[in-house]
Amino acid sequence: MKNITLMLNGKKETIYFEEGDTLLYVLRDRIGLMGTKFGCGYGACGACTVVINGEAVRSCKVLFKTLEGADILTIEGLTEGKKLHPIQQAFVDANAVQCGFCTPGIVMELYALFSKEPDASDDRIKEVLSKHLCRCTGYESIFTAAKLVQKTESYSKQDKKDFERAAKLAREYIKE
Amino acid sequence: MGFKHIGKDVQYRPDVLERVTGEAIFIDDIKLPGMLYAQILRPKYAHAKILSIDTVEAEKMPGVYKVITGKGWEKHYGDCIKDMMPMVVDKVRHIGDALAAVVADTEKHARDALKKIRVEYEPFPVCTDAMEAIKENAYLIHENSDEYFHVSPLYEPIPKTNIAVHYRIKKGDAVKGFKEADVVVEREFNFPLMSSAAIEVHGAIALFRMDDTIEIWTSNVGAFAVREEVANLFDLPISDVRVHMPYIGGCFGYKSDPSLGPLIAYIASFVPGHPIKLRVSRQEDFTSTFLGRGIRTKMKIGAKKDGTFTAMEAKLYLSTGAYADTGSNVLIVATQSAGGVYEFSNADVTGYSVYTNTPPVGALRAYGHPEIQFALERLVDIVARELDMSPTDVRKKNFLSVGKSNVVGETMKKSDGDLYKCIDNVERAIFSKERPEEDENYYYGRGIAGLIKSPKAPTFAAKGCHIKFNVDGSVSVNMSGADVGQGLFVLVRQITAEALKMPLEKVRVYNEIDTQFSPWEWQTVGSMFTFQGGNAIIKAANKAIEMLKKNAALVLHRDVNVLEYDGNYVYDRSYPDVKVLVSRICRGYIMKDGTTIGDVVQVSSDFRLPGAQNPDPETGMGRTGVSYTMGVQGCELRIEKKTGKVIIDNFATSIDIGRVINPSNARGQVVGGVVMSIGETLMEEIKFDKNGKLINANLLQYKLPTIYDMPGKQTIEFVETHDEIGPFGARGIGEHPMVGVAPAILNAIYDAIGYDFYEIPVTPDKIKAVIGGDTEAR
Ligand code: FES
Ligand code: FES
Repeated sequence: MKNITLMLNGKKETIYFEEGDTLLYVLRDRIGLMGTKFGCGYGACGACTVVINGEAVRSCKVLFKTLEGADILTIEGLTEGKKLHPIQQAFVDANAVQCGFCTPGIVMELYALFSKEPDASDDRIKEVLSKHLCRCTGYESIFTAAKLVQKTESYSKQDKKDFERAAKLAREYIKE
Repeated sequence: MGFKHIGKDVQYRPDVLERVTGEAIFIDDIKLPGMLYAQILRPKYAHAKILSIDTVEAEKMPGVYKVITGKGWEKHYGDCIKDMMPMVVDKVRHIGDALAAVVADTEKHARDALKKIRVEYEPFPVCTDAMEAIKENAYLIHENSDEYFHVSPLYEPIPKTNIAVHYRIKKGDAVKGFKEADVVVEREFNFPLMSSAAIEVHGAIALFRMDDTIEIWTSNVGAFAVREEVANLFDLPISDVRVHMPYIGGCFGYKSDPSLGPLIAYIASFVPGHPIKLRVSRQEDFTSTFLGRGIRTKMKIGAKKDGTFTAMEAKLYLSTGAYADTGSNVLIVATQSAGGVYEFSNADVTGYSVYTNTPPVGALRAYGHPEIQFALERLVDIVARELDMSPTDVRKKNFLSVGKSNVVGETMKKSDGDLYKCIDNVERAIFSKERPEEDENYYYGRGIAGLIKSPKAPTFAAKGCHIKFNVDGSVSVNMSGADVGQGLFVLVRQITAEALKMPLEKVRVYNEIDTQFSPWEWQTVGSMFTFQGGNAIIKAANKAIEMLKKNAALVLHRDVNVLEYDGNYVYDRSYPDVKVLVSRICRGYIMKDGTTIGDVVQVSSDFRLPGAQNPDPETGMGRTGVSYTMGVQGCELRIEKKTGKVIIDNFATSIDIGRVINPSNARGQVVGGVVMSIGETLMEEIKFDKNGKLINANLLQYKLPTIYDMPGKQTIEFVETHDEIGPFGARGIGEHPMVGVAPAILNAIYDAIGYDFYEIPVTPDKIKAVIGGDTEAR
């Protein structure tokens, strides 16, 4: 088994894996972070979406061995203690969670979007959401949740700064 | 009636935090000590005799514990027709059959070993459509279908044919009815095969213990059904099988597929002491679990000049797939629903469930209802045209209402719903403005369709409820309804709190189902939970209140009949100061000297559809629906001339559901159901090549609707005609929004471009072929 070192949910981790492992497989089957979901295995559903270096990525399509030094955020890294992340809170408030199987992936997708474009247009929001399949909600409530996030003051201003600071720290931490 | 919790938006579902944080445990999130992984070999042919299976090389592969085939197994299983085996023995009948399995330390090792299994086949002709399979000279898919166990004559096949079930309903005199008609219209329709395609694929784990008990974890929504099937298969007392149901990532019907439990249990029986996990691939989720729909209908309606329907005749052909146990129920339900929301005094409806070489058909959200009402509601529009009446007037002329009788002869009650209110709502939403005229870029159209649905299940199907009072006066509720995302847990919480006059916070709802501890229920299907489960809760709550009063009577020295319960206290109606705290009496009452009197308040109850019956063998009629829900759907759409794309600007749904328990969740069910059904109407279809291979068994080619396919807006209005039996007057809503979508859209497409489609999905290519004058794709 090989290993690489990277940032996972804000912590520096050295993780063992085998040659062909995808990031999704490592998260779920090797280290037991079960919040990231398997829906297809080939990039069609978005259930496995995580944030890598600030970008929303389908973890089922990424080979783990390419991730040396990367900064990875999964749904488990979003909550602080018992406090939901504003995006998660918006999903609860908009009743945008039915079975919840697509939810972690979509939340991470929006996290990446709003970190860079807190004022993303409706079209832009729809564009990123169109890469995700949800069989339950008919998308209406998910779109409402996304709009709700933008209305949440604390998110659009402060969280972006938080995120950038964290990402910068992470990069420095890994370099040393 | 003033409610505290019913009809209120209780958005904070007890399960929502787990779901939104990724903490919720789904089947694939379960890992057990000593767990091994199974992978299944699927056949190369959709129909073939198995000459040999050579597993020698596979057994030598790294990590492999066991290679398993069906060889030597004899017992069939199934609920109504025992035509399935855990693994195939001498013949494969569809491309997703289970041919052999490898158990290994990792999924990858198991998959690698599969490649080393050598199989010799003798291929047979393949037939994927009922119209072919029903022909006299068709190759038999089950040679001896008459030798299988059939639960009742209704499920008997026609020997030496591929017809697994045939069912006829004869009401009045259809021949006479057609003679009385001024206009008779007949057409053929096709509702193709599709997949529930939840985002979570199916999975299961089974463990054979040394003491011959079996423990199973499954994504199946019928934990008790799985338990019975597996116990029967291994000749064990049902109590020796324990089934757990974790969170479920969407069901839409196909997670009632009974085949995965027996398969994983069979595999695990060869490796006792190890939990064996099977998570199917997305491809297998299409090929090796239930498909849905797949009904062709030939329908004829006769009507008088004033619009009154005089007769209806229909023939339904279900491509039921390789095993008919579940599909046959879909066919029976479709046949019983042939009259839709209209009264036909004369009807003659025959349904055939026909074996084909496809994955078996089973439940898919609202199964049986959309298939036939698609045909009916399209045909009603055509009748209206022939009569030169408006589509809404013809409908209003023939609507079912109090005292009228449906096709199976049930007399409609007030509480079955008020269609006139529903159609008013939809007319207001869709037809109150003039339809825009065709312009440079678009054609515009509007369409409407009625819908009706009843819960369809065996007559004995029931829901159970356990309520336990805790010493602080809070309660724990255990039931076996699966929350597949529809908001069932919060509904349980709301109804319990209402019935026990408590704040929501004092009611803790189960979130795992375990047949060892949870009360019995049949399965969570058919939109039955609100109605049956809700009533089971109220029954249990009333029993608990009775017990509390009895305990209080001992303490207060009063007659039980003078006591009242208000959630906190039991008190004397005339002297409210004479009271005792519920928390002091719910485990019995402890007196000063420690002597404890009264009973511990923990109760059990159940509820089933009152008076449901099997259909009469002669006429096919009878109390088969009991509780109906009706409504109307309609839409405004645009067709883009350049691309043939259908853009739905407004989709309206008005359904009489008795009472809305949770407005936000009820709306969520309709919004989601309509979009799912837009998928089946405009894009989804399972396709086979001539060898019976599914050519689009993946989420790249089998297109599910995305956010771009949601309507510009959805107008949703519930009508609330109090249901005398439903809990606080309510009925379910999970499946109903699927029923009228396809015909409403196709009727609107006709309105836009003057072309009748009889088959879905209506893709942009098919529309372009029409508006571009190119007839090929028709
Ligand atoms: S599992 Fe990665 S996109 Fe579907
Ligand atoms: S909430 Fe079930 S798939 Fe989106």
